[in-house]
Amino acid sequence: MKLNRRSFITKGAAGAALFSIMPREVLGKMGGNNNFIAPSDQLTRGLIGVGGIGRSSSHFISDQNCRLVALCDVDQKHLDSAVAAAKKNWGEDLKAYHDFRDLIHDPNVDIVHIATPPHWHGIMSVEAANAGKDIFCEKPMTRTIGEGKRVKEAVKRNGRVFRLNTWFRFKDTFYGLGTEVKPLKKLVDSGLLGWPLKVRISGATGFTWKFFWVGKENLEVQPVPKELDYDLWLGPAPFKPYNVHRTHQTFRGYFDYDGGGLADMGQHYIDPVQYILGKDDEFPVKVEIDAPQQHPDAVGIWRNITYTYADGCQIILEGEGFESEGKVPYIEGPKGKVYKGFECTIPNVQQIINELPDPEERNTDFLECVRTRRQFALNESNGYHSATIVNMGVCALRLNRTLHFDPKTQLFINDDAANRLVEQPMRGEWGKLI
Amino acid sequence: MRRTLYIIIAALLLSLSSFAQDARQRSTETIVQDVLALVPIQQQSDFNNELKPLVQAAPKSITMLAAMLKPAAQRVNAKVEYTIHGAVCLAGTNEAWASSVREGLKQAIAAQSDKDAKQFLENELRLLSKENDVTYTEQKGANPYAKAYDKLVALGDKADAEVVKAVKGKDHALRMQALKFATEKGLVTDELADAVAKKYKSLSEEAKCDVLYWLGDNKKASQKALLAKAVVQGGKPAKAAIEALGKIGGKDAEQVLVDQLGGENNAEAFRALCSFPEKLNLQEALKAATGDKKLSLLKLASARRQTNVAEDILKLTSDKTYGEAALNALPGVVTPDQINAIVGSLTVLDKNAGNISAWQKACAAALQTLPADEQYKRISLFANQPNMPNRERLYPLLAATGTDASVADLEKIGDAAALTALGTSSNYKAAKPLLAAAKKGNENALMSYVRLVSSKEQSMDGRSARLCEAFGLAKSTDNKKTILSKLAGAPTRNAFLLASKQLDDKDLSYTAATTAKEIITKTTEDIEYDVAKQSLEKCINIFKATGDADDGYAVDALRQKLSEMQPAPLYVLSDEEKKQGFELLFDGSNLDNFVGNKVGYVPINGCINVTANYGNESNLYTKKEYRDFVFRFEFCFLRPGVNNGVGVRTPMGVDAAYDGMCEVQILDHDDPIYAGLREYQVHGSVYGVIPAKRIKHKPLGEWSEEEIRVQGNHITVTVNGEVIVDGDIKEACKGHNVAPDGSDTNPYTVDHRNHPGMFNKTGHIGFLGHGAGLKFRAVRVLDLSKKK
Repeated sequence: MKLNRRSFITKGAAGAALFSIMPREVLGKMGGNNNFIAPSDQLTRGLIGVGGIGRSSSHFISDQNCRLVALCDVDQKHLDSAVAAAKKNWGEDLKAYHDFRDLIHDPNVDIVHIATPPHWHGIMSVEAANAGKDIFCEKPMTRTIGEGKRVKEAVKRNGRVFRLNTWFRFKDTFYGLGTEVKPLKKLVDSGLLGWPLKVRISGATGFTWKFFWVGKENLEVQPVPKELDYDLWLGPAPFKPYNVHRTHQTFRGYFDYDGGGLADMGQHYIDPVQYILGKDDEFPVKVEIDAPQQHPDAVGIWRNITYTYADGCQIILEGEGFESEGKVPYIEGPKGKVYKGFECTIPNVQQIINELPDPEERNTDFLECVRTRRQFALNESNGYHSATIVNMGVCALRLNRTLHFDPKTQLFINDDAANRLVEQPMRGEWGKLI
Repeated sequence: MRRTLYIIIAALLLSLSSFAQDARQRSTETIVQDVLALVPIQQQSDFNNELKPLVQAAPKSITMLAAMLKPAAQRVNAKVEYTIHGAVCLAGTNEAWASSVREGLKQAIAAQSDKDAKQFLENELRLLSKENDVTYTEQKGANPYAKAYDKLVALGDKADAEVVKAVKGKDHALRMQALKFATEKGLVTDELADAVAKKYKSLSEEAKCDVLYWLGDNKKASQKALLAKAVVQGGKPAKAAIEALGKIGGKDAEQVLVDQLGGENNAEAFRALCSFPEKLNLQEALKAATGDKKLSLLKLASARRQTNVAEDILKLTSDKTYGEAALNALPGVVTPDQINAIVGSLTVLDKNAGNISAWQKACAAALQTLPADEQYKRISLFANQPNMPNRERLYPLLAATGTDASVADLEKIGDAAALTALGTSSNYKAAKPLLAAAKKGNENALMSYVRLVSSKEQSMDGRSARLCEAFGLAKSTDNKKTILSKLAGAPTRNAFLLASKQLDDKDLSYTAATTAKEIITKTTEDIEYDVAKQSLEKCINIFKATGDADDGYAVDALRQKLSEMQPAPLYVLSDEEKKQGFELLFDGSNLDNFVGNKVGYVPINGCINVTANYGNESNLYTKKEYRDFVFRFEFCFLRPGVNNGVGVRTPMGVDAAYDGMCEVQILDHDDPIYAGLREYQVHGSVYGVIPAKRIKHKPLGEWSEEEIRVQGNHITVTVNGEVIVDGDIKEACKGHNVAPDGSDTNPYTVDHRNHPGMFNKTGHIGFLGHGAGLKFRAVRVLDLSKKK
């Protein structure tokens, strides 16, 4: 019989068993010189949502650094096929759950990986933090500003390690820039471009807003497939008659669950900007919108969204088909500009950048952060900031007007309707979890 | 009589409430209907203007709208939802409006029996509520972390002692939580740092690391001595102290970190020095160092572009022990000062030397800071010397300059090495020799050509034609896939047809489907209905079978496209034209009544599309010849700047404007590229002879009607019912179609050219031009000569 390491520990460390949280550091550390990691020193992960991103090759993995030990989905077909795949891939018998709360409270799970549609991210993160689990959450962080605030607080309060899963601020080619963010950060930090800066996220600078991620109005009312627990899929979202387009793969087109390309790609695109501008602790004070009127349910397209910071820096989003004409810079400052493909008006910019110091070191190995309890590079705090920028845009889009934001209270100024979107009610008892 | 008046007044008064405040005096019903017809409103100003009367007519307008909501299953609510939501959005900007819209919503909710509709109205009402109705349950706080955190929050800036306590404690997460709290709240004063540092010795190794990292995160320069000591003491804390010192900076910290290079903390020290906040001075250290330390210093100098040690590193390349490392570091530090020395080394290397490419890299780096023509000057000096040993090693450097001269030089050299170098050029002029090589079977040259065409060819037709040609030359599946994906950036009909043909090839089908989808959504060209339908259905099946996240949307988009596409109906003559004796030259189905260029002129979906087909520049002519006639057709521009024309009484294969009777111009003269246009060149002009009245063209994609009537020497041109030319061609040139003195300059025509064909008695009618981007339909002719 396989010894369950956690039942062993609960018995062994009687005092600690009283804690609802088990600091995994007290677990045996066998280390050793070879690459073998003792099972008691392996981290474990439970994955919620195995239909979309959760089943992607980068996430549906299990290895000796971090074993995948539990899966959860409200679509029985998704769950069955993921369990079968796990068995085939690793010969592992994983725990399969229908209700995410069971996965979160499974004592065998160290890290809760949230790969559901965004309307669940807040509730699940808070529940996981309260249960003493570290969290790996897919972008966008939360669907509302209020939920983001709750997640940030819960993570801090429970001493958890949280990772928001977008990564361009620390690795990989940053879309149209054709380079990592690092040289851009160095250039901006050097002051060579001057200040304030204007950043343009647009088709003209190499970013696509995926305008095909839109919703449909007048949806046909369809019977719920028997494998899907639609009520639990909706969870906190308002109950609306089922149509397949609301759910798997196309949920991004509905404000109840997400917010189209703006909300879903927005955090990929905007989070690195916040880092580049050194504004991880700030918020814009204004968001302006130019868009056709939006439907209250189905996300539509938009033409331009402009964020302005108190110091005059701006982030300008240009919708697909509404890009500025001609050659437009990605970053524009009073003293220099950077275009798509990192083309820069400053001569020999590459050599200049190479002479500058690298940006300050950050912790970009999530599992290492879980072990050392140090903050991950993209965490509950800066992740909340970039998620809030995205959500400010969604609020302005839904209301079709300019909004002013108070960074101190993190509420909109003199706009009740906008503040109703900051905090949104949850169906049934779900609000009590967050 | 008086009673009647009273009744009229009473009626007026009664209806006043419905006319409330609307400047246009509309009833509430009309306001509601008007807005319903407009939504979703596209522009912000329209949004405010159109919704204001509706909001001002609340609560009645709102209850009226809400009463129109039907059960969701009927699928008819969208416009009402847009309208109510729009009203709510606008009302939120004005408290008086908000109050009456709220009232309307409340009444509507009370009256509504459908639960989905009720929920929608309640959500809208919520947006206008003053109070935040969301309450969260008290945060759960039974666990030790929450308790500790709450205590820290309660203490606020008096939390020092609590932080110190947590540092000393055994619980890692509690300790980190306290340290993080202090950092985020800005509590890490020198005093707190001191208090924590005092406990350092007694701490566990794990706690030591936590504290050292924390000192670094807070840049506590006051604790440098402790950090330096921790480095010397080694173990895990040394690594933490190194990172911390790297963040704090200063000459003393630099010294400590440089000392760690080459040892067991090499990796940490190296990283810390890469992000070290100040400029480094590695010259002395590099000279003195040996072994692994020297190797690390070389890497570091390169990573931080320490140009001050460029000469030292160049010299070191000949060193037995450090030569290779020095050479690898060289590109990071060189400046143009080292070019000649590097070229010297590069060209004398033995052909078996393994480091040729390393020297090339160093040379490229040395050249890089110079402007392109300066780079060319410096490198061609050596590369173009036939006596230069191993000069082919300089070709890639020559190509990297991207100058025209470099392409010419390499083309002239023309051997395999030169061709490979050309493949790396960013200059579009390199495309020609690359294509020639590709045609001889050189697949690398082909892909270099493809790269150049897709990044440099400005014209979409050019890109499409060249990529289609390249696809035909490709052999490997990967290359075919690459070209297919690049074709998505040239959304023409030809590109679509090519992609369609690959849908059945199982290796290429997904790429082809993606390209076909991109093209069909972007293209402005018409594609044959049958072909498009069949291809899109295949694409849908391919996307369905793959089923990645975005494929669901792809299927949606294609279904939508399919539902919008329809086969074009055939054109039939009106009864009137039939009676007059018109005959149809093109009814939408075929070009049987025409001869000439049927590659560039293609019947698609009921229109003659002028598509760009490279290498075929001839015209399309009527089969029959005509003397006097009325020629009617419709035209539609698809792109700005389109240029074509109608040839009159012309032989085939000549320039109808001169060797035919005339050419009646077809031109999108509104495009800015024609700013300098002469009056006899505008649309409708009898080219070079009779200027037309300048019209304003309809927007791209809209159809215009045109009639050209030719009787004897008289020509009338009518566009959309407006006569823009009405004149006698002989009178226009006072009878002198050619210069009386036999010269090339004819003072009698407005373009001062000879028009020898002007008095042709008969000839074909033709469409003249080969530029893509327009279409014709409903082409018909009345032969006036026949009647006589």
